Amino acid sequence: MEFWKDETEPIKAFIELFNRAKQDAELYEGLKKVNQLIWFDYTEDGPNCSFFVDCRGGEVRVSPGKPSDQPNLIMSLSADDAHRSWSNKLNPVMAITRRKIRVKGSATGLLKLAPKLKKVAIIYNDTLKDLGWENKIIP
Amino acid sequence: MKGSTGHFLYVDLSDGLTNSFCPPIDYYSRFIGGSGFAARLFVERGNFEADPLDPEALLTFSLGPFAGLNLSGASRFSAAACSPLTGHWADSSCGGNFAPELKFAGFDGILVSGKAKKPSVLVISDHTAKIETYPELWGLGVEKATATLKQKFGKASKTLVIGPAGENLVKFACIMNDGHSAFGRTGLGAVMGSKGLKAIVVRAKDRNFLAEDPMACRKLVSELNSRIKESVTLSVMRENGTAANLEGGVHLGDVPIRNFTSNFWEEMAEALTGSTLSEKYLKRRANCDFCSVACKRIVEITQGPFAIPKGPGPEYETIVSFGSLIGSMDLAATCKAGRICNDLGMDTISSGATIAWALEAFENGDIGVKECDGIQLKWGDINTIIDHILPSIAYKKGNLGSLLSDGSVAAAKKIGPSSQDYNVQAKGLEAPMHDPRGGGHGLALTYAVSHRGACHVSSPMLFMEMGACYYPEVGFDYELDPLSSENKAESAVLAMALGALENSACLCQFADREISIPEWVALFNSVAGFNWDIHDMIKAGRRIFYLQRLMNHRYGLRAEDDKISSRLLTPAVDGAPAGIVIEFEKMRTKFYNLMDLNPETGIPSRKTLVDYNLEIEADIILKG
Repeated sequence: MEFWKDETEPIKAFIELFNRAKQDAELYEGLKKVNQLIWFDYTEDGPNCSFFVDCRGGEVRVSPGKPSDQPNLIMSLSADDAHRSWSNKLNPVMAITRRKIRVKGSATGLLKLAPKLKKVAIIYNDTLKDLGWENKIIP
Repeated sequence: MKGSTGHFLYVDLSDGLTNSFCPPIDYYSRFIGGSGFAARLFVERGNFEADPLDPEALLTFSLGPFAGLNLSGASRFSAAACSPLTGHWADSSCGGNFAPELKFAGFDGILVSGKAKKPSVLVISDHTAKIETYPELWGLGVEKATATLKQKFGKASKTLVIGPAGENLVKFACIMNDGHSAFGRTGLGAVMGSKGLKAIVVRAKDRNFLAEDPMACRKLVSELNSRIKESVTLSVMRENGTAANLEGGVHLGDVPIRNFTSNFWEEMAEALTGSTLSEKYLKRRANCDFCSVACKRIVEITQGPFAIPKGPGPEYETIVSFGSLIGSMDLAATCKAGRICNDLGMDTISSGATIAWALEAFENGDIGVKECDGIQLKWGDINTIIDHILPSIAYKKGNLGSLLSDGSVAAAKKIGPSSQDYNVQAKGLEAPMHDPRGGGHGLALTYAVSHRGACHVSSPMLFMEMGACYYPEVGFDYELDPLSSENKAESAVLAMALGALENSACLCQFADREISIPEWVALFNSVAGFNWDIHDMIKAGRRIFYLQRLMNHRYGLRAEDDKISSRLLTPAVDGAPAGIVIEFEKMRTKFYNLMDLNPETGIPSRKTLVDYNLEIEADIILKG
């Protein structure tokens, strides 16, 4: 991995990102509207390298690992590309076209969040800074 | 030769005669079908001097080799003629169900000439055709005319019908297939209307499709269909239609607002986007023949001023044309406006764009209540548009109907030079609902160099800029930045060839994105037996691009006509692209160099014409 020391680092960063995103009213509403169980699968970088976001039922819950329920959407990619993606440095359409991101299930809900990626990236960079990983921020 | 029938139908409405003919066999591998084939047939049989609405004008419907093949996205076909709207060579593409049926009935296309003495219908069944006079259909809307035809010729028959706008020679009249799919652009419905041809009906008994290599074809089609069905992009489109990403487009600055004066309107994004349409009005999804994408919508609005019964719903272009472009974010109204346009038989893009021009003209004082028959035009006043303006255009009623029925470019010429400043077009064709300032700077270039004018489906440039294309086999591995001119000329060179291929093979630009370049070649080879390699295929696409340029040269277009309205080159005032300049001339100059186009005439050198085996066509076209 180019950005991460081991498989625990990205999951720590991404879970913290989502927990902070939940504090933002606009993003929280946006996430609730997704109304799906999404598994972010980075297991190509380690068996425990994944987390899920459960936006069903008007709540947003974030946890490490694979969900026990069948996910509505699985996004499989490398932890490095996930880092680029949350940093808003990866064109998701291009990444899907080039098979850097493999998607299973309906991406309709996530599509609604795409315009908010800029805002997510700001929160993500703050998260990295607060975790002491300023060096991971992509300029 | 497989994939095609080898037969075209020729119809002379003046004499009431129909006969079939076999085009030279080399046309199939050189010009493929659809847009390219229609162009070549026009060079052979058309008259460049004929007015588009004269009986002598030739209207062609042309299938691709894949019509009738059980492949998602393969059921499109082309209509082509000299456009009454733009005055030069044009074509339009339509999905639906007519193309496979025509192929099964034994024809690769139809050429229509002459003018019927009485309103007529062309009726095609297995290898035969006849012209029937049918005056009682004249004057009917598309919906009723289609229903009447289905009653007479059977529910399973497929129809092409014009509405009152086509009959009245509105220059952006369209041709509707079974009341839902459209040959929308460039006014070919008026050409059909000028011939007194209200409809074409086709019915076939056999449903055989013969491929050159059936085993290889079956295997490839099966793989492609599975991939298309599972594609994340296309599943989003299945779920929420072609407007699925309208919201994203607003944030990119791609979606035009109030006649392209703004590139951002946040509240509108959610109000008009595809998921909102699904939640509020969608009754079911519909598809072109054999297509699993099912991006078409069937909607119903049960109450309110825009109530409409269950039927065809709007796609992206219609939603924006009658939504943000005219300053409205009323989704129900776009459904109704689209339904009315379909019934009147008018292109929703040019209708919305021409009305948007009129709204701005009124705001600027270039037209007043007198020109508008006492009506005050206001941004967002969709009620007036639906109740008064659309019918006035279709029936050329009053001052406003007369003014707008020839399109926004002609209207601005009548009103005066200041109103031309806010015509948004290229080569006389109103721009579609993608603003190159936000959607991608390369789109500005392809709008300008497209043979038919401002057109987002003349090439896959829009998809290339959004990142949905990856063709390393032909050198397209760029990671394009939409808001830059970098690598856009190079990309446009490939885009125009691919666009010509898609529009000639009559493949859908959505489904196509899941097909790689080697798979395109394999499709052509296994179906039509072209025995191509990648180079041969790209060469065929570029040959068609050059042919259509030669034809437009004959119609008087020159390099200076490869331009777009100044509004689209003026930096956006808001949204993501605010303040960014499109380096249009730089891209255009480079494109001209790469394509060996003469900077004055706009056509390629003799050497290039010879390289692309176009010397015979060039001699015929240029000698006049």
